[in-house]
Amino acid sequence: MAGFFEGLSPILEGIQEAINLLIALDPQIFRITALSLIITLSAVLIGSVIAIPLGSVIAYGKFRGRNAVIWIIQTLYAFPTVVIGLIVFLFLRNNGPLGALDLLFTPQGMIIGQTVLVLPIITGLTISALAAVDLTIRDTITSLGATRFQFLISALKEARFAILAAIALAFGRAISEVGAAIIIGGNIASPGNFWTSTRTLTTAITLETGKGDIALSIALGIILLLIALVVNVIISIVQNR
Amino acid sequence: MIEIKDVHKKFGEKKVLKGVNATIERGEVFTIIGPSGQGKSTLLRLINLLDKPTSGSIIFEGVDIHRSRDQQAIRRKMAMVFQKPVVFNTSVYENIAYGLHFRHADKTIVQEQVEHALEVIDMVGFAERKAKSLSGGEMQRVALARAMVTEPELLLLDEPTANLDPLATHKIEELVRHYNRESHTTVIMSTHDMQQGQRLASRIGVMMQGMFAQVGTPRDVFASPSDREVANFVGVKNILIGTITDNEKGVATLTVDGITIEAVTPLPIGTPVWASILPEDITLLLSHGKFTSARNVFTGRIVHFAPRGPLLNVTVDCGVKLSATVTWRSAEEMKIKLGDEVRLSFKASAIHIMADAEPGA
Amino acid sequence: MNFKKLLLVLSVMVVVVAGISFSGCTTPAPPAATPTPTPAPAQEDLLIATTTSLYDTGLLDHLGEIFGPEYNANLRVTSKGTGQAIELGRGGDVDVLMVHDRVREDAFLADGSGVDRRVFAYNYFIVVGPPSDPAGIKDMSPTDAFTTLYEKGQTDPSVVFVSRGDDSGTHAREKLIWKQAGYDYEQVRASGAWYIEAGTGMGTTLNLADEKDAYTLSDIGTFLAYKTDLDLVPLVTQGDDLLNVYSAMIINPAKYPDTKVALSKEWINWLISPEVQQEIGNFGVAEYGQPLFYPARDNWELLGVSQTETQDPIP
Repeated sequence: MAGFFEGLSPILEGIQEAINLLIALDPQIFRITALSLIITLSAVLIGSVIAIPLGSVIAYGKFRGRNAVIWIIQTLYAFPTVVIGLIVFLFLRNNGPLGALDLLFTPQGMIIGQTVLVLPIITGLTISALAAVDLTIRDTITSLGATRFQFLISALKEARFAILAAIALAFGRAISEVGAAIIIGGNIASPGNFWTSTRTLTTAITLETGKGDIALSIALGIILLLIALVVNVIISIVQNR
Repeated sequence: MIEIKDVHKKFGEKKVLKGVNATIERGEVFTIIGPSGQGKSTLLRLINLLDKPTSGSIIFEGVDIHRSRDQQAIRRKMAMVFQKPVVFNTSVYENIAYGLHFRHADKTIVQEQVEHALEVIDMVGFAERKAKSLSGGEMQRVALARAMVTEPELLLLDEPTANLDPLATHKIEELVRHYNRESHTTVIMSTHDMQQGQRLASRIGVMMQGMFAQVGTPRDVFASPSDREVANFVGVKNILIGTITDNEKGVATLTVDGITIEAVTPLPIGTPVWASILPEDITLLLSHGKFTSARNVFTGRIVHFAPRGPLLNVTVDCGVKLSATVTWRSAEEMKIKLGDEVRLSFKASAIHIMADAEPGA
Repeated sequence: MNFKKLLLVLSVMVVVVAGISFSGCTTPAPPAATPTPTPAPAQEDLLIATTTSLYDTGLLDHLGEIFGPEYNANLRVTSKGTGQAIELGRGGDVDVLMVHDRVREDAFLADGSGVDRRVFAYNYFIVVGPPSDPAGIKDMSPTDAFTTLYEKGQTDPSVVFVSRGDDSGTHAREKLIWKQAGYDYEQVRASGAWYIEAGTGMGTTLNLADEKDAYTLSDIGTFLAYKTDLDLVPLVTQGDDLLNVYSAMIINPAKYPDTKVALSKEWINWLISPEVQQEIGNFGVAEYGQPLFYPARDNWELLGVSQTETQDPIP
């Protein structure tokens, strides 16, 4: 068995090869990264469009079972992504209820899976952000004569930085998950047609590591880390305003 | 303009307002004074339709506001400034324009109004500043401008200067006066600062234990408090408790704690009463000084000095402890010090007497 | 605010891109040199489910690069364990199934899930183990080797076997060899600490076996790909029980009418055509010094299948 330092050298070699691939702008890496970004950005966008209004209604609504609803949403934060993948897979496959839509093994199907993943996070954090808007500010908005809709928009504006941070967080979670992406997407290369490929950063790393192509895996891993870094920077900037 | 009829408000088991009644006239400045936590903010919030009374009604321009279908329209005729200075997370300009945007006002009109408002509050040049970077006093001025720019008929202010320094407080009071005068806006303002209540109000409501203990002009309240609690709260000094022992054609003799005072009152002999005298109405004289024609002259020793800004409150023990107010200059000229023997005199007509509702309390 | 504008631009970009993606636009074929009055036929996608051990060799990607342009097709391949791939086939979620498990393939055809099987390649599984070979199984027959491992594993702590344990084709083969050797598989699983179930892919299983200086059954392709990182060496490489036969089947259009039958036929017939069979036989030689696959054509007797399956194009 290799000693510790002998064992390190293949890793270092791998890192070096990875950096070469990145510098050379390897087209495969480019495709995989582009697809990851497109899928996750779409999912976060769609998720936000649903979650933010939903969160607004729940945050300031007075209805029976409101606390239960919030509790359920917060429990869903930690919902295992692979289980989300399984459920969506069962729905999208040919024999499933939505089989006629032909969405299994497509990027659109992956977007659906990731949207399901981010919905509880964005909804729940929107609710927290809105609840944190100072009561006096809320009273001021009301007393200035806002309609219900104007009130919600104003409260959202006041909470905008917290909500943006929530969106960035959701983005980070979605782009780095692998369970649902593999089950729903199938990790398909689809060389002839970029728009039907389903090989993203995380699924590709799984594949390439299994195949023994360490350099490529490391390169993709570096990119994922860079993306996580950028997301974190955005969250920090936003929180310091 | 506003009638408050028997308004009660309960929060769970806690009764905060227990039957508030008042009528507020158009164009007046009505201040609500009272100890903290006794319902002032709650009442204002009820008027502003931020909350509903448990029972009772508030009639605004003939409409029962809590039973109206168009509460939105009613709310848009009012504006409120809160105790905590709050601004929206945007520029000063946008803050002031906030309410106008809700009303879908035309851009040019908004600009006119906001620029005019900035002039009034003396913050021209602040338009593009981030509102959150302002001081507390500046924020409240913006809040006031924000409220007034929507041209409300009624302006509500909930202890607006409670968290501000005296200079900022003064500016806010100036602005409130300005708006009341120039725009004829009716103002209802709550405060725990007695002097402020006196300075600004056309009428004052004293709220104690969730209802108005007294409503009247500042003079009414401070010179003729309707009961001992009000008197206590408004800081009336020199409260004496006793009984009327003689009364000849309105000139009564009242025995209080062993001293005899002459006062003017129709109350009959034997009535238990309480009386108060404003320190300003008591003259301090040297022991062997000027002669006075006042009916009530008492001799005693100085037991306490209390500075009151430009004046000096001197407490003299002449059987009962009475406080008189003198200027610093007078004090220096008379060379009075603790322990000195002095005389206090006051006119019979200066005594405010009320029958004691709770004798022996 | 600059930040807001950036966000707006980003959102618009995403919406545009997602919109294009959702409308199912395909990348256009290379523009024709001369403008033609009729538009070129759209490129067709073929969805194939296969096993990880076949896909990880890179054979399918390589063949797809040739087949695609020639037939104006786009091969979309998803690789799973054999069991999962078969499930996808059974559910009609793919067009073609390419696996290497005769027994389960027979069941698949029998229950009407698949049609038109053709055998297109074969190679051998190998039993690999530590260079020291503590159990001494080198060059034994597969069943003898397994028997020896079972017996020695109970008593000799340096004899360890790692199983795929994951319903894959390789795992199925391992179970078959145990059966041929006369053992009940459940009995083997419960027989002691010498038998480890990895529950994972071939690459990880090899790494695990390497860590533990253990024996394992592997497909030749994955082993060659990992060889330089491992200390393990091939010990048993011959024997009918190690024969690994690769087939392709079309998902039954009678059951799933959406199956792309025409293109599937083209693909499979192409696979068994003489030129491609030769290509398959050459694959990997340059890189590994030995072929990863042998052409099935002409070898139907060895493989124990019908001649039709190796040579006759699907009508």
